[in-house]
Amino acid sequence: MNYRLNKEQPQVMHIDLNSAFASAEQQAWPVLRGRPMGVTNRLSKECCVIAASYEAKALGIRVGTRMSEALALCPQFIMLETDPTKYTHMYQGLIRIMKDYSPKIKMKSIDEGIIDFHGVHRKQTLEEIGYEIKQRVYKDLGDHMRINVGIGTNRFLAKMAAGWHKPDGLDTLDHRNLIDFYKSIELEDITGIADAFGSRLRAHNIFTPMQFLEADDDLLRRRVFKSINGLHWHERLRGYEVDDYETKLGMVGRQWVLPKASNDDEWLRSCLHYLATTAGMKLRYRNVEARGVCVWVSFNMGGGWKDKKMLRQTFYTDADIWLHVSRLFDHRPKHMTIRTMGMYLYELTPSSKSQLNMFDDVAKAGNLSDAIDEINDFYGNFTVFTADTLTGKKSVKQKIPFGGTEYFELLLKRA
Amino acid sequence: MDPTIEINERVDVVAVYKKQGDISTLCMPCKMRWRNQEINLTELALRHPTVAGKRMLHVFHVSDGTNAYRLEFDSEALTWTLVALMAGDYFELSPE
Repeated sequence: MNYRLNKEQPQVMHIDLNSAFASAEQQAWPVLRGRPMGVTNRLSKECCVIAASYEAKALGIRVGTRMSEALALCPQFIMLETDPTKYTHMYQGLIRIMKDYSPKIKMKSIDEGIIDFHGVHRKQTLEEIGYEIKQRVYKDLGDHMRINVGIGTNRFLAKMAAGWHKPDGLDTLDHRNLIDFYKSIELEDITGIADAFGSRLRAHNIFTPMQFLEADDDLLRRRVFKSINGLHWHERLRGYEVDDYETKLGMVGRQWVLPKASNDDEWLRSCLHYLATTAGMKLRYRNVEARGVCVWVSFNMGGGWKDKKMLRQTFYTDADIWLHVSRLFDHRPKHMTIRTMGMYLYELTPSSKSQLNMFDDVAKAGNLSDAIDEINDFYGNFTVFTADTLTGKKSVKQKIPFGGTEYFELLLKRA
Repeated sequence: MDPTIEINERVDVVAVYKKQGDISTLCMPCKMRWRNQEINLTELALRHPTVAGKRMLHVFHVSDGTNAYRLEFDSEALTWTLVALMAGDYFELSPE
C-alpha cells in the first residue's frame, strides 16, 4: 500500500532533557544519585510530584503521584522543593548548545526544544550532531544530565523519535522505518493522542496507529475530528510539517493557589495586586495592550466566582491594570474563603505606545510606567514597586512555568 | 522526606582559581572550615549563578565524597556561606 510518506531527508531534531528537574537536583546533590526522588512546587503532606527521577519512575512514581502514595510505594522516597535558578541555568545552557547548530531553534517548554536544520549548511550528519550535543550536555550541564534526541522530517516525528528509547536515546524516524515503528506502538503512545482523542478514534474503528495511518483524510476531517485537525493528523503521521507556526497570543495572566485558604481582604488584595503587577510585566514584555480584564477565584468549600469587563480603551500600565482588577475583585462574595485566585487580560492588540497621544495625562502615565520598567530592567525585578504589593511579593513564590517558555524568557531577561 | 539540612552559616573556604578552562570549573572550592571541622571538598557537582536583590551570588554544589553541601559566594561582600547540606548517612538511617 502506498502511504504517501514524506521521503525528504530528516531535518528536524527534538531534544528533551531526561526527567529535567529531578536530574538537575541529582546533578547538584550527588548523594541523591541512584535514589528514588522527586521534585514538587511546595512541600506539604498532599503535594504531588512534578518531576520524578528514573529510579522513582521504575517504582511506579510518576508526575502527579501524591506524596502519600509515593511514600507508600517507597518509604525512602525523597521529595525536594523546586529551585528555579538551577533550572534556569540548565535551560540557558541547553539553549546555548542548541544555538551553536542552527539559528532556527524553538523551545517547546523549559526542558525540550527543536532545532530546525532546513537551509543550514553542515558537514556532519544529524546523528553525528545528536551524539555531539549529548557529549556537550554531559560536559557543560553536568555528568548526570542526559538527553533524548529524536530526528524526523517534521516536529511530530522528531518528538516521537525522542521518546522511543528513553532515557538517553537517539533515534531517527523517516519513511524507511516509520511503518515498523507504528506497528510497534499503541494508539495512546502517539504524542497528542490522549484518552479523549483515543476514544474518538476507536469510535470510528481506529484501534491502532496503522489503522490511524491508513484512515482516509476525509474520514478524519469530517467525522473523527470534525475540523481541519483531521487533515493535520493525516499529514503529520506521514512526516509532513504542520506544526511550524506561531500561536497567536490570546491572553496573559497569573493564577495562584493560596498556601492556606483565606478571606482576609487586605492580604488577598496585596497578593492579587502582586499577580496583576507580574501580569503587567508579561503584557509589556510581549509589547501588547489589553482591552479586557477578568478576575476569578475558587472557594475552599467548592465552587467559584468570576467577573470580566471589556473596556473601550486599551490599557497596559500597572496602575490601570490594578484599577480594573481591584474594581472587579471588590464585587466578589467577601464572606467566602478563597483557595485559588487569578486574573487575566484579554483582547490583546499590538502596543500603540509609539503613537503620540493628544492627552497629556495619558502620555505622562505611560512615561512613568516606561521609566519604572527601565529601572527594574536595569536594577532587577521589583526595585521600584507599589507598596501595596509588599505582602503579596513575600507570599507568592515564583514557581516553574510549564508549557510555554515566554514567561521564562522574561525572567531570564530581567535576571 | 526532604534530607536537606539548612545551615546558613559563614564559613572559611580555600578555593582554587584556574587560569583557563570551562566556566563551570574555573573556580573550585577545595577546603572548608565549618564549626572547627576541616572538610576536604573533592567534587564540584554544579555551579550556577543567582541573584539576591542586586547582589550576584555564585552557588556551588560540592561534595566531600560522603556528604553534599550547598555553598554560596557573595561576589559583592566576598563571603562564603554554607547554606545547606545533605548527609550521606541519612539514607542508611532512613526506613527500608
